[in-house]
Amino acid sequence: MADKYTVRVTGKNVDIAVGEDQSVLDGALRANQWLPHSCTQGTCGTCKLKVLCGQVDHRDSPEYTLTSEERDSGLVLACRVTPRSDLVVEPLGAVDDRVPHHPLRDHEGTVVVLDDIAAATRRLVVALDEEMHFNAGQYAELLIPGTALARQYSMANPPSEARLLEFHIKLTEGGAATEGWIFRSLAVGDRISLRGPLGQFHLVDKVEGPVILIGGGTGLAPLKSIVQHALAEDLAPELYVYHGGRREVDLYDVEFFRELDARHEHVHYRPVLSEQDWGGATGMVTDAVVADFASCKGMSAYLCGPPAMVTAAVKALKRRRMSPRLIFKEEFTVAPPLPDADAAAS
Amino acid sequence: MTITPDFVNDITIEELEADPYPFYERLRKEAPVAFVPALGMHLVSTRELCEQISRDDENWPAVISAAGGRTFGPGALLNTNGEEHRELRDMVEPHLQPTAVDKYIDDLVRPFARERIAAFENDGHADIVAAYCEPVSVRALGDLLGLDDVSTDKLREWFHKLSVSFTNAAVDENGEFANPEGFRPGDEAKAEIIAHVDPKIDKWITEPDHTAISHWLHDGMPEGQTRSRDVIYPNLYVFLLGAMQEPGHAMATTLAGLFSRPEQLERVVDDPELIPRAVAEGMRWVAPIWSAVVKRAARDVTVGGVDLPEGSIVMLTYGSANHDEHAYDAPSRYDMDRPVKPTMTFGGGKHACAGTYFANAVVRIALEELFESIPNLERDTDHEVDFWGWGFRGPKQLFVKWEV
Repeated sequence: MADKYTVRVTGKNVDIAVGEDQSVLDGALRANQWLPHSCTQGTCGTCKLKVLCGQVDHRDSPEYTLTSEERDSGLVLACRVTPRSDLVVEPLGAVDDRVPHHPLRDHEGTVVVLDDIAAATRRLVVALDEEMHFNAGQYAELLIPGTALARQYSMANPPSEARLLEFHIKLTEGGAATEGWIFRSLAVGDRISLRGPLGQFHLVDKVEGPVILIGGGTGLAPLKSIVQHALAEDLAPELYVYHGGRREVDLYDVEFFRELDARHEHVHYRPVLSEQDWGGATGMVTDAVVADFASCKGMSAYLCGPPAMVTAAVKALKRRRMSPRLIFKEEFTVAPPLPDADAAAS
Repeated sequence: MTITPDFVNDITIEELEADPYPFYERLRKEAPVAFVPALGMHLVSTRELCEQISRDDENWPAVISAAGGRTFGPGALLNTNGEEHRELRDMVEPHLQPTAVDKYIDDLVRPFARERIAAFENDGHADIVAAYCEPVSVRALGDLLGLDDVSTDKLREWFHKLSVSFTNAAVDENGEFANPEGFRPGDEAKAEIIAHVDPKIDKWITEPDHTAISHWLHDGMPEGQTRSRDVIYPNLYVFLLGAMQEPGHAMATTLAGLFSRPEQLERVVDDPELIPRAVAEGMRWVAPIWSAVVKRAARDVTVGGVDLPEGSIVMLTYGSANHDEHAYDAPSRYDMDRPVKPTMTFGGGKHACAGTYFANAVVRIALEELFESIPNLERDTDHEVDFWGWGFRGPKQLFVKWEV
């Protein structure tokens, strides 16, 4: 372990070993030392740390997320930065230790389902060799074979199914993971490597008010996990699930959610199409929410989808006076352009 | 003394109260230390000179403006120096130390803030100054002082009356007050305050409690003795004016600033951790205590190239210092993303505001609660934003609306 440095987080009495090609976040999460983070791609800035002592390499930390002034003042992105000496660091955001956190692990598994479920959309189910414990709403990184690349997908299964992970995958034109692998060569029976869990988009504790979940496209995945978990644990008094797509062929799991809606009085499912007249709701999914609720005061929301949808949903919910503190967001982020040096290190 | 330019000779208090910025912009450029006949004293307008004089207690002891002295009477913190000033600071500071404030501030501010919001949140519109900023500001300090039995509206009335007296600064050619009637509101307020507080002081003398005024009476005094009312009252007026009015100004000013930058407003609503930064910029943009601090030359001095004889009186204008083009780019624009640079908002030197931490905490909590309950707050564009004041400055009214 000569190539490992010791990283100490202020307020935690634990020394974390971090390799010189490993990100500080990766090291901390593997040591089950929670640090705030969201995208793990250097784009959201959630994982900013202040380095109180020691030398670092910022590697590919983007200038738009971490400005040179911030670097000069000792700030780093935990998901990018790697140590060049022993470090003492301090998280900028509050470390939420009230919810359980599960350590980041490498996993292997076998593809057991690979189905087309909507236009250019596949359901991938992986049977893991060992359980992966996670909070409903979190994501994992699938490692693309033969490359140093990893791509992020939310688990759609509830945490109770810790060995059977379900992912919803949309084809990206030219995408290394989708066009180059999952929609081309991947087949049932293939072995697959992944690491997880990651992210802080989750529903863990019982909530008092109704919960509105809005998913755009495959943004439905973490919401499906959350809804199943909330039902199993009786976490929310009402669950309103909105799924937005352009045409009917973009929708999936319609029967699954219709059945939940029929079976549970407090589950409400509303698919909304923006480019097709049909028997159901039409228009932007966020407009449907605004039309359905006179006030969202006291409610909370889980939003997952393209950045424009998430932004519009936040605006719509604030218009209906939902507290921004209770709006939780997971945005699709664009994959980083260059191969990630540490992606294959683990 | 140098020749006074015409634009300085001609300026009136009314013009300054309406909008002091153009006049001070010219002062900073042409006459950073200028004698203003309408005020009977020199104005210091640049950041550098304001900072220098505020920190130099030896050459520049603090005095109170004539109108301020007429309003508060002798013995106010603002008008004392050396040992006497230190003793008064020791009297007021224990309740205002960060560690002390952190212990009580949430319970002091949040419940009342929520109660106020509940009273108007379903209306869809409000003058947020009268409905929220001023009430939260006065209630927080009123309860801390021990004036929990004085209504919010009465506290607001008192500080408004003290404020107009304190800034009734105009003098005639003989140096006499040009508008002696202007002190009447302050005198009325003081008579009411004394009538209300005197019996309470009687009680606190024999039955001390946790309130600030009770501590002012007892702390640091020999056994069996309490501080004289002559010490208590002038300083109570200082608190009732400055500390009651200014957090309200800071809240409303910050909101007005954020309304001018909708994308910054949205970020602050989404992330309440940005509120302190937004407030700091609000108070730079329009310093609540805009032009109220006065100092006296202890000896003959040269300042900003102007020779001033011993005894000369200068007024430091923090609102102008905070707009100094040498320190801030586009100073008249609200921009919470501008580089963080110290401001003169809370003064400097030994007389720097004792309530800085308290005031910041009150404003922060008030805005946290407001954005939490009404995240869709916007300016009602049917009304202009109506800033007023030269000694103290903030929006007189700020009309807001939201969808209900």
